[in-house]
Amino acid sequence: MSTSISSTSTTPRWKAWVSAQNIVVAVVLVLAIIFPLVVDRPRFWLPNIGVRTLWMGTIAMSLVFLNKYVGLLSLAQMTFAGICSYGIGYFSVTMGWPIIPSIVLSLGIGSFAGWLTALIAVRTKAIYFMMITLALAQVFYSWASQAIEVTNARRGIAPIPRPDFGFINLNDITTFYYFALVLAVIAYVIFRYTATSQFGLAIQGIKDSPERMSALGYNVNRYRTAALTLAAFVASIGGVILVFDRNQVDPSFVSLDSTLNILVVAVVGGIGSLGGVFIGGLVFALLQNFAQDFTDRYMTLTGLVFIGVLLFFPAGLVGLGPMIRRLFSKRAKASASSESSETLDAERRAGTHNKKGQHK
Amino acid sequence: MDIWPLILLNGLTLGAVYFVASSGLTLIFGLMRVITLAHGTSFLFGGYLGYVVAAATDNWILGLLAGLVAAGLLGLFTHQVLIRRFQDDDMRVALITLGVAVIGTDLMLAVFGGTATQVPFPQNLQVALDLPVIGEYPLIRLIILAIAIVLGLAIYFIIAKTRFGSIVRAGVDDAPMTSATGVNVRVVFAVIFAVGSALAGLAGVISGTLFPLLPGQDGSYLLFSLVVVIVGGMGSIPGAAIGSALVGIVSQFALVIAPTYAFVLTFALMVIVLAVRPQGIMGRPA
Repeated sequence: MSTSISSTSTTPRWKAWVSAQNIVVAVVLVLAIIFPLVVDRPRFWLPNIGVRTLWMGTIAMSLVFLNKYVGLLSLAQMTFAGICSYGIGYFSVTMGWPIIPSIVLSLGIGSFAGWLTALIAVRTKAIYFMMITLALAQVFYSWASQAIEVTNARRGIAPIPRPDFGFINLNDITTFYYFALVLAVIAYVIFRYTATSQFGLAIQGIKDSPERMSALGYNVNRYRTAALTLAAFVASIGGVILVFDRNQVDPSFVSLDSTLNILVVAVVGGIGSLGGVFIGGLVFALLQNFAQDFTDRYMTLTGLVFIGVLLFFPAGLVGLGPMIRRLFSKRAKASASSESSETLDAERRAGTHNKKGQHK
Repeated sequence: MDIWPLILLNGLTLGAVYFVASSGLTLIFGLMRVITLAHGTSFLFGGYLGYVVAAATDNWILGLLAGLVAAGLLGLFTHQVLIRRFQDDDMRVALITLGVAVIGTDLMLAVFGGTATQVPFPQNLQVALDLPVIGEYPLIRLIILAIAIVLGLAIYFIIAKTRFGSIVRAGVDDAPMTSATGVNVRVVFAVIFAVGSALAGLAGVISGTLFPLLPGQDGSYLLFSLVVVIVGGMGSIPGAAIGSALVGIVSQFALVIAPTYAFVLTFALMVIVLAVRPQGIMGRPA
């Protein structure tokens, strides 16, 4: 069906995985794993910085995935996460269900919300899509803050205790951190795998030229819908971490502020990099925790950082790496002029065996 | 007595406020193909400034002007300093203005606090008019409806009949070509951005006269403006008028029929319009 775009790679499979990007990912992962062992006050660092970075990163990653591979900027990702959080709260606390079916069903509901959103918004493009997802997110917010019989209106559903699965007890903060880390890694792997799968190649083709893909027989809207649903599913995974991090759910989860925070995380980390969002999340979590020490106006500070990144580092903080490397490689340009091109976009390079690199 | 005509008129006056706010947004989008998400910030900033001036001078008209000018200057500053260089990159403009909105929300909360304020207006306007069918109706709401209608007609005629309007229309169709004919398109862009923001500021003062000004309204009015321009069709002034009347009327009827879900029903309107006509009621196909 898609023989024309899934080009064969010339490098062996294992070599394609030893890229600069994957080395960085491995280093970051190792740092994340030893994080609980090296911090001085785990009771502060793990929940306030570690877990928060992970759920913000996971949700922001779903936004980045849509932006990078589908070309749609969705402002409803936080809402999908919040819907999943509400689901867990409603089923496990209000209805008194066991926790595992509640989580599974809530993940399904979060994804379903993504599918519904796609049905409404998928025909629109770029800026329209952004506005419509923003508007839909606000619809859910207003519903959540009023529907007292389901969401308990403004007071929300609390407390939502962390589950104890027997062999893993999430009430232990270190265990909970690793639980969150595993979910975030699963989310990352889902996206990395999808991006290089046949489906991923198709949606990237659609991003570059919907008309051509349509002419080739692809149902453009159906692919976009599927990608949106997948992104909503991953956002819901973030919602699972979120709800157990806060031990409650209330409308502030899906407010305009929270939506914007996720966007800030994505942009600061790098809107074109799946893994970069965790750096953005870390910066944001640090800012949230420590900016209050010297200023009350930390949202102003966040806004300034956000605008600064947009003005000067459009590729986000992960874009700094290649920028610095390019500075250095200028000196060694005479010897290695061919290599400088590969520093341009480390993330895109990961998929050397996909056709995107050749296309651009 | 029948209550429906009253609700209809309430919807129309609410729609008048929405129209003044969203006409600025649709004007900016129509010419520049960018969406400013700081539109709600202009709205609330104008409203607060209008309140301060109207309370200090005891003059409602001065308050209206102050809100208009203050928001216009804010828009001019945003455009010149932050987004002029990225004007072709609509996504980046949207994000930068979002940053402005975040800062604006925070600073306005710091300066004006979290309590509700209402713009004072003259005693002799605080009367009810006896209308046929409807009965007693506050005069100020009718004045605001009249302001919105006059403003809408004025914008429409400026765009349709004057030289500046023809430049704007030419810029909408083909900015590089307009520039090639000797028009300084950059100045036109700056003027439109400032005027669009100023209209939002004016809407802020008007809204602050009818309803209290609250933190968080910047977000909700940005949203209502977005819904109006999506429903009416981006870049179309008549579309904004139809859209805001529809949104105003639907939200007022929804308040009576299903108060809890009024907001949701308002957005259902947007969803229906999008499903039938993705470019909006008066929008041109993209």
